[in-house]
Amino acid sequence: MAQARPLLAPLSRLGVSSSSIPKSDIPRLTSLSYQTIRCATMKAKPTQQKKKKTRNTFIQYDLKRADQFSLVDAMHYIRAFEVGRNPSSSKYEMHVRVRTLKNGPVVRNRLRLPHAVKTDLRICVICPPGSKVAIEAKAAGASLVGEDEIFERVKEGVVEFDRCICHTDSLQKLNKAGVARILGPRGLMPSNKTGTVVTQVGTTVRNMVGGSEYRERLGVIRMAVGQLGFTPEEMQTNVKAFMDTLKKDIGQMSDRISKEIHEVVLSSTHSPGFTLNGEFRNANSVPTKDLSGPM
Amino acid sequence: MVHIVKRMRKLRELLWIRVGPGAIIFPKEVSKIRMEFSANIEGGHRGARKFWREMLPRIKYRNPALPIEISRHKDKLGPSILEVYTTVKAAAAAATPASTTPTPSAEAGAGATQDTLSASPEAPAHTIDLRMAQESEILAQLIARTGATVLKATAEEKEELAEIAEFKERSEKDRVEVREKLEAKRREEEMLRLARGEMVAAT
Repeated sequence: MAQARPLLAPLSRLGVSSSSIPKSDIPRLTSLSYQTIRCATMKAKPTQQKKKKTRNTFIQYDLKRADQFSLVDAMHYIRAFEVGRNPSSSKYEMHVRVRTLKNGPVVRNRLRLPHAVKTDLRICVICPPGSKVAIEAKAAGASLVGEDEIFERVKEGVVEFDRCICHTDSLQKLNKAGVARILGPRGLMPSNKTGTVVTQVGTTVRNMVGGSEYRERLGVIRMAVGQLGFTPEEMQTNVKAFMDTLKKDIGQMSDRISKEIHEVVLSSTHSPGFTLNGEFRNANSVPTKDLSGPM
Repeated sequence: MVHIVKRMRKLRELLWIRVGPGAIIFPKEVSKIRMEFSANIEGGHRGARKFWREMLPRIKYRNPALPIEISRHKDKLGPSILEVYTTVKAAAAAATPASTTPTPSAEAGAGATQDTLSASPEAPAHTIDLRMAQESEILAQLIARTGATVLKATAEEKEELAEIAEFKERSEKDRVEVREKLEAKRREEEMLRLARGEMVAAT
């Protein structure tokens, strides 16, 4: 006992809180058999022994009892929650829950909303400087165009863009330049998989300037769909555009995969999520004119 | 995604934005509300922030077309005011002649015009000093000055609110119970572990 104490004390201090250092009068091994805790989980033990079947779909829930809102109602609430916030920093977000497999392919695309959410995107285009492509990219709104200069800058650690696309001809040069180590972790490295290696640079840049990306994660697709200052009508067109593209995307996936839209939720930076029922407004909604003004 | 039950519970609690202090409807001539206070509560700006967080959403919900603007500065000695702009300023000023130049907020109002830009060119019809004021006092003043109508909760809404309150109370009790049970279990395990550890050390 006398030897054990100094050995044990520092260990227990490391592992658990020091309050649990045993006092010498703890009745060891005496009343252990009576120390079981009586609660419901203990009774269920024998059934737990059977190995649980792993599910390969996400748990779905019934929306019958859920409160659902029309778009105007949801915006009415959201605008109240966002009162006094900076209208340019708070955004409307959509969350779309899909019925899908856990390990299946995911929806992933980019689209250009009718009313752009983010307008100050800096785009870098990698193509031979001075070529026709470069001029085209500049005209479309790219902020950085070039090859070697950009590589040099990136290697120095100066990354002054939010998106990076690459012309097909320059891909080899890009891969040799060794910037993947810097761009990769930031998700900026152009690759065929993300659709950022293209031949028609001009159109891609143009799409990107007002465009935003979405992808499915854990059965949910999230995307910012509007600024807080948008009117209900603007929001309606944006939401419609988003849902249409999403449905088209899902339709394009192979026949064996079934994906269905389960729930559509609208929220914003400071508000709770409102499940939408697909209607624009109902009889009791406030007039849309009221929601169109400044915050 | 947040679990559906959690979300629906939160939505049920949305009731708080419909009823309670701040559920008022302004008369038509009120055209804009503007608040200005410090980002930090130091220097008597606590009530102003509370008012913004708790009551302004209700006001905005009931008056969706009313623009409400908030600017927060870093200076704890800076202005702490609430301004109400009206469309028919002359009439409002005539109706409440005393409130246009209230004595306590005189210096605060002067400070506002000096070092901060007033958003609209015309002067506000009412200015309320928020420094060292409780949020309920601010609301009372606002109602008194603008003549807003206060909405009372209906019987059903009251019932629902009581239900939510009861639910919260119960959940707090449950939480304590579960925590106790869990802690007891952890203590047992800890003791067992130590007992075993000591035995190993002894042999």
